[in-house]
Amino acid sequence: MIAGLNAYIALSALLFAIGFFGVLLRKNTLVIYMCLELMLVASTLALVAFSRFNGTMDGNVFVFFILTVAAAEVAVGLAIIVALFRRRQTVQVDELDSLKH
Amino acid sequence: MTPASLAILLLLLPLGSAALIGLFLRRQGALASWISVTAATGIALVAGHLVFRGLRFEAATEWLRFGDFAISLGFKFDDLAALMLAIVALVGLCVHVFSLGYMHDDPSRARYFGGLSIFMFSMLGIVLADNLFMMFIFWELVGFSSWLLINHWHEKTSASDAAKKAFIVNRVGDFGFLLGIIACYWALGAVNLTEIAAKVHGGATVVAAIPLLLFCGAVGKSAQMPLHVWLPDAMEGPTPVSALIHAATMVAAGIYMLCRIEPLFAAAPAIALNVVMWIGVITALYAAFCAIAQRDIKKVLAYSTLSQLGYMVAAFGLGSLQQTLHSDAGSFDVLVSAGVGAAMFHLTTHAFFKALLFLGSGAVIHACHHEQDIFAMGGLRKKTPLTFITFTIGVAAISGFPFLAGFFSKDAILHLALEKNHFVFGILAFTAVLTAFYMTRLWKLVFLGAPRSESAEHAHEVGPTMALPLVVLAVLSVFGGYTAIYGHVFDGVLSLVPHAEGSTILMVSLVILIVGAGGALVFYQPAATDTFEQKFPGLFSLLASKLFIDEAYNYYVAKIQQRFAMLLNFFEQIVLAGLIIRGLAGVVGLFGLGARALQTGRLSAYVYWFLIGVVLLWGFAAGWTFP
Repeated sequence: MIAGLNAYIALSALLFAIGFFGVLLRKNTLVIYMCLELMLVASTLALVAFSRFNGTMDGNVFVFFILTVAAAEVAVGLAIIVALFRRRQTVQVDELDSLKH
Repeated sequence: MTPASLAILLLLLPLGSAALIGLFLRRQGALASWISVTAATGIALVAGHLVFRGLRFEAATEWLRFGDFAISLGFKFDDLAALMLAIVALVGLCVHVFSLGYMHDDPSRARYFGGLSIFMFSMLGIVLADNLFMMFIFWELVGFSSWLLINHWHEKTSASDAAKKAFIVNRVGDFGFLLGIIACYWALGAVNLTEIAAKVHGGATVVAAIPLLLFCGAVGKSAQMPLHVWLPDAMEGPTPVSALIHAATMVAAGIYMLCRIEPLFAAAPAIALNVVMWIGVITALYAAFCAIAQRDIKKVLAYSTLSQLGYMVAAFGLGSLQQTLHSDAGSFDVLVSAGVGAAMFHLTTHAFFKALLFLGSGAVIHACHHEQDIFAMGGLRKKTPLTFITFTIGVAAISGFPFLAGFFSKDAILHLALEKNHFVFGILAFTAVLTAFYMTRLWKLVFLGAPRSESAEHAHEVGPTMALPLVVLAVLSVFGGYTAIYGHVFDGVLSLVPHAEGSTILMVSLVILIVGAGGALVFYQPAATDTFEQKFPGLFSLLASKLFIDEAYNYYVAKIQQRFAMLLNFFEQIVLAGLIIRGLAGVVGLFGLGARALQTGRLSAYVYWFLIGVVLLWGFAAGWTFP
């Protein structure tokens, strides 16, 4: 059996939902970060599937851009988290609440 | 030098002197006094050159411009200004020289002479000003210098109170003056005196309110009823100041201003001049009555000044006179502003003899070691012969003794009154009787009889710096009435003076003099108590109460105005400050409090806000509408 477009979309939506709820509910910055990446991957999966089933290259081009931007973002984001840990000795978002009124 | 630059020099001399003294010489009394006197001498020389060389000019330069509205500074030096300038310069110089002696031992005489200089500057500004705004600026400056000089002995509460009173009462009048200037600009589009005259001659109509509002300024500055209350109190200042500011020049500035704006009165309905006339008549009579019951030598002179100023205002208010001119082409009737002529003529002679009387009283006070009560004096005729002679000339001149200065000017006013209004003539003639009466009373009590106190016993004659101004002013009080001597220089003004024909007025003046002066000579005994008070205690206490006008003002300010102000303050606190200002701030603050609660610092909370925002944005993009 060959998987149809709906199966790809469903998987993509599932991955996106996992990532989204991870961002909402998890407390560790690194985990939240991984969940963000998961959402990006979910959207690239959907784009690749559209590209494959439409027979055009548009979706694939998007994916290249997203991967490039994500790589840069990871480099910056991880550096920030490492710097944050050095300063505050924690990466739990509950304890990172000094930016309030 | 051009006449305009001479006029600027005239203003710069006293201003420079005042600045020099105020900035550098506050502790150098001797140097400061000489600088000030030098400036006054310079003023007299420059003024003499301008006046007697017949230099008459107008010059103006723009100072400030707001759109169509421009304020200019300029000079209008016509015969009227020349006459006033001559008076100010001459009396100013006399008072400066007199002050050298009178204030010699005062510890803060540098401040005093600086004040005199700033006064001269301000007064010359009024005299030379060519528009009402400039006049108003200098008008306020003379008010300031008057405050400064009344306040000279500020450690005395009475002096500082008097200074404040003078300043505040003048503010009331000046407010009307300012409104009048604005109204004048609004109605005629001009504040320049020459332009105003041109517009009025061109047929512009003037409502009575405009000259009357401007007259408010004169009521304050020239101390007319009902704003006369400050002048008697202003006698707290040093006596030369009273002579210069509160007798000869500043208080006369009101009459001078009226003469400057005479075209407005001529164009306005007759009611304006009538109001002016009655205020002058009432002031003249009221002040003459008050003067009878005063014990303080300076207070008598102050009320006398009030009365004479009332005379001038009344003369102005009597207005123009129909005169028949005879010439080769036949005779024709012309309207002559006789009021201006008579008022300015009396202003001139009054400046001389009243300055003389005040300086004479200064000499008396100085001789008696600062005793001012006339019932504690007496017998000064032998102790201070020069003061006695000059003071006698002053008394004779103000009483209208024939062929002295006051005789001619008072006759001019009485003649004008007789032509225009018999009732006014009666009151003014009666005022003249009172004038002769209280001046003779003063003269007899001070100079005749035996000394009635220790200080009068040891009185001593004044030194040369104080004697010289007395002699100069006495000479002027004798010859000041003969316009034939100097009239051609000021022809524009003094040709307007009405001259009595026939002997009616002469007889009237003689009767006035005999009844007034003779009555006082016979009536008053040189004793330590007032004969009038002993014989008519009821009438005396009525006159001494000055009709309770001060008390009425006190009551008004303390009980009515103060309570109204407190009520307004209450509303201000509750409505303005409480509801509007604090209320608005509170509402905004509540919003702020709500918005601040969103800012928790918790990342997950922000994600929820973000989520809600995305949903709303999405909904908006999809075209949802709220039910």
